[in-house]
Amino acid sequence: MKNKVQIPRKKRRFSFVSFSILLVFALLAGSWGHILFIERAHFFELFNERNLEYAKKFFSGLFGFQEEKPAFVDKESWKNAIQLTYETLQMSVMALGFATIVAMLTVIPASRTIADGTLTVSKRWYHWILFGIIRGLYIFSRAVPELVFAMVIVFIFKPGILPGAIALALHNFGIIGKLCAEVIEDTDARPIRNLASAGASNAQILFYGIIPAVMPKFLTYILYRGEVIMRTSIVVGFVGAGGLGQQFKLSLSYFHYTEITLLLICYIILVFIADFISEGFRKAAR
Amino acid sequence: MKELLAPLKTHNRSVLTLLLLAAFIWSLFSVTWSRDLVHAGGWTTTVQIFEGLIKPDLSPEIVALAIESSWVTVVYAVTGMTVALIIAFIFGILGSGVLFSSHAVRVIAMGIFRGILATIRAIHELVWALLFVAVIGLSPYAAVFALGIPYGGILGRILADMINDVPKEPIQALRAAGASRLQCLLYGYLPLVRANMISYTMYRFECSIRSSAIMSFVGLGGLGYQIQLSLSDLNYDEVWTFLFFLIAIVVLIDAWSNSLRKRLVL
Repeated sequence: MKNKVQIPRKKRRFSFVSFSILLVFALLAGSWGHILFIERAHFFELFNERNLEYAKKFFSGLFGFQEEKPAFVDKESWKNAIQLTYETLQMSVMALGFATIVAMLTVIPASRTIADGTLTVSKRWYHWILFGIIRGLYIFSRAVPELVFAMVIVFIFKPGILPGAIALALHNFGIIGKLCAEVIEDTDARPIRNLASAGASNAQILFYGIIPAVMPKFLTYILYRGEVIMRTSIVVGFVGAGGLGQQFKLSLSYFHYTEITLLLICYIILVFIADFISEGFRKAAR
Repeated sequence: MKELLAPLKTHNRSVLTLLLLAAFIWSLFSVTWSRDLVHAGGWTTTVQIFEGLIKPDLSPEIVALAIESSWVTVVYAVTGMTVALIIAFIFGILGSGVLFSSHAVRVIAMGIFRGILATIRAIHELVWALLFVAVIGLSPYAAVFALGIPYGGILGRILADMINDVPKEPIQALRAAGASRLQCLLYGYLPLVRANMISYTMYRFECSIRSSAIMSFVGLGGLGYQIQLSLSDLNYDEVWTFLFFLIAIVVLIDAWSNSLRKRLVL
């Protein structure tokens, strides 16, 4: 009897994996075919004289060979760039804060074990509806890139740090929420059920049961997202949402190449420092 | 000093939470909170945007356009991931240091290749795209490389970490049987990291769809380009149609990678 149940299962598993492999090859062939034959883009044509000329111009511009006073030896430009870096840092921290607050407010009804009542031994009719709505919001927020959010938000807010922070937060709250909801789903249900059956109220279950169990993982995920937000903060600036990105786009439009080099240096240093701090914090959170 | 730090260590999670909260509050001071933050017509625009959500533009031309640009988005994502995987394999394996026998060479190589990976992934793909467009113009290869290089940096770092985390015993067994470093890599390390690597690549593929959609911001076709055009025309109903297509692709790929991951890891 047992064998009869297991064999078809194994077969299905195998066929799904081979289907995936086929799909991967089909996608690869289709995509490269599209690039090579429909868009007629040939790789070796890229190395023509015109592009070489552009590249030469661009890179000598970046390193400031033609300019008498490149921006990265100019004190005033450094001051400006550091001010922008500081603003970008503030924007990222604010974005992380907003995203975390929204995610924490919604994460508990968004976890499956709460919705079906296995974690708290209590069932309410509205749990599944809340679960569906919040999960739908999470999917929406995760699927739409921060740049698209930023493009829409600069229609509503005036350019500055705030629209950038809101755009970053809108994209990231779904990711933080989804990751954290999965953490709640994976926690050991027994101590929490114990609390519930001992008569703890919902708030008590939250503060004495759930939060201590999930805190370390939550902190890890929040810090990890903080790293990513720092990296993406430059992008929302491209559409006028403030920070380094805005200046980067402007300098590129004005062909101030040495300024681009300076801004890139500041940006990379910012990302490295953020990576370093977040890694240290994550070790502490464990 | 150590005694002073001891209570910090026992409460490090609370200290960390407080630090993060303080940083958040500090960041709030950077904005001067007033009514000036919102455009004069901000509220009407918001209402119009949400009206578009209820009535997205589903006319045949727009849907056809959306399907076409969805395909372009997928094309850039797939080709970008191909480049990323090539970069990841070359630099990840070299950066893991398993191919080098002498200790000094290994440390130097790990430093160099991991440094390269860290630098190329620190720069966001859109910045790469802007740089590439400045150099090679609006060729599809600008999008492919702009996507492939930072994703290669991320995947390569993960591959190197996975190779370094492989349990020692199977490798020692291979070494004892007389396998060379290259054979150890081919028959020891790579088969051991395969399942994890595939599942991580699938996760990154989902991210690359999103990135490829915004690639078009610099002028390389795709869903983001259409979104940008419709936004400039203030056609919010069209924006929502394209957004729904983007969400649909992401959800589809998410479902695919989830079910594949379950079958691979378990």
